[in-house]
This record gives sequence, C-alpha cells and structure tokens, in this order.
Amino acid sequence: MIKTFTQNDLIRFVYQETHAEENIEIETAAIFDEELADELNALKRTISALDLVERTPSFKSIDKILSYSKSYDLHSSK
Amino acid sequence: MRKYEVSDSQLISLYKNGSEDAFTELVTRHKNKIFTTIYMIVKDHDLAEDLLQETYVKVVNTVKSGRYNEEGKFLPWVTRIAHNLAIDHFRKAKRYPTIVLEDGSNVFNSLEFSEDSIEDRQIKEDTHTLLRELIQELPDSQREVLMMRHYMQMSFQEIAEVTDVSINTALGRMRYALINLRKRMDKLNVAYDKNLYPE
Repeated sequence: MIKTFTQNDLIRFVYQETHAEENIEIETAAIFDEELADELNALKRTISALDLVERTPSFKSIDKILSYSKSYDLHSSK
Repeated sequence: MRKYEVSDSQLISLYKNGSEDAFTELVTRHKNKIFTTIYMIVKDHDLAEDLLQETYVKVVNTVKSGRYNEEGKFLPWVTRIAHNLAIDHFRKAKRYPTIVLEDGSNVFNSLEFSEDSIEDRQIKEDTHTLLRELIQELPDSQREVLMMRHYMQMSFQEIAEVTDVSINTALGRMRYALINLRKRMDKLNVAYDKNLYPE
C-alpha cells in the first residue's frame, strides 16, 4: 500500500528534517505519484528562489573579521 | 541544501585549537545567509556590513574565550546574534523592528553577475528585488517562520519553541508562506524565469 504524506511532511522533507526511513518512503512514492513529484518540485523551486535573494557582504568586511580573529590575542590581553 | 565534507562543529573544534583557516571556512561558508538576515532587517547595506562585523566580534570573543556552547548548532547561533544586534539597532534608534526590504535602488550582488551584460544584470537585480518584496508582503507570522527556517537555519522544533506554537503550526506557516510566495511568483510570471533557474 502506498503511504500518503501530509503537506507538513513534504515541508520537513525539503528542509531535510525527515528521518532516513521517511526520506526513502517519500522518494519512492514520488516515483509513482506524479502529483506528489510535482508538489515536491514546486516546493524545491520556491526554496531555490529564496536562495537567490541572498546578498553578499564586501570582501573588506570579511577581511576585517578574519583580521580581528587573527589578532584576538593582541587586543584581548590589553 | 548544501552538505559539507567538514561539518561546522568540526571546524569550530579546529578553530578552538587555533586554526584560523577553519574560521575562514566558517565565515566564508555562512557569510551570505548571515548578511542577508541582517540586511532584511536593517535595509541598509553599510549598516548591515557594520553589524556583520559586530556579530563576528562576538563570535570570536565567545569562541576564543572558551564560552562557546557545543550543544547548539553554529549557524543558528550566529544568525541569532546577528538578528538580535539588528533588532537592538532599531530599539536604540526607536524604530519599529520589522523586516524591511530594499526599494530597488541599491546595486545587488554585482560581483556575482560580473560576466553578465548591463542589461542582464539589471534584469536579475529587478527579479531579486521583486522576490524580496514578495517575501516582505507575506503575513508577519509566515515571514517570521520563513526567515527563521531558511535564513537563520533554525529547525522547525526550535521555531516552534521560540514562537510559542506547536511544531505543526510552525510547519503550516512555512507551508503557507511557500504557497503564497509561489502564487505571487506565478502571477507575476517570475516562476520559470531563466534568471532564476538557469539551464
């Protein structure tokens, strides 16, 4: 019998919060259930879009952070 | 989501033992997510840069003084520091601490698009600006969960605890956030834009 999954199960799956056994069940079900596969793909595409709005800090900021760490012993002993 | 050969906790252990390379990897690995979390709150690129540096000063001080709690995950911990600093900034400035988005006038991530034409870059900037606006337009409860799960990398269980709701409610809010976002993207015809999903 093919197990049915709730929408919340699918959200947990795409955010990798399902257990290994659940992963196999969902992945297997998606092979036979076109509607489920479409739902998963739609969720993944929306989540991918969220990654695209990420912004990048300047190299200067990153350099300052790394320099602060390297010189920590100097400024912490003052 | 990306999987790394060396985990964050392994990198933290190396860093505690003096490896600055491990710290460089940690910073590089998560800089965009943390910076985006801050930027979405303060909506000012320069201020977000300052707060990112301030966040990592706290991280360095905590780890190097041996006060880092091994039980928690690194990224959620750092993003919470960043989130709190950004909110504190609003409190000090007596402004309402809400997640706000850019008005489209700022240059977005120009390095990433360095090989594109000016026109292509403009299209991508516009698309990304639109996406940020769509996120901003989500109901507060949905946007909050989306920010916490996607950018702050908190688990649904952690979100449920912080927002004082059941895990099913947190999952439901995330589901509606994604559904709403998807609908709006479809409506505005950005869902299958080649700029979003290059072949």
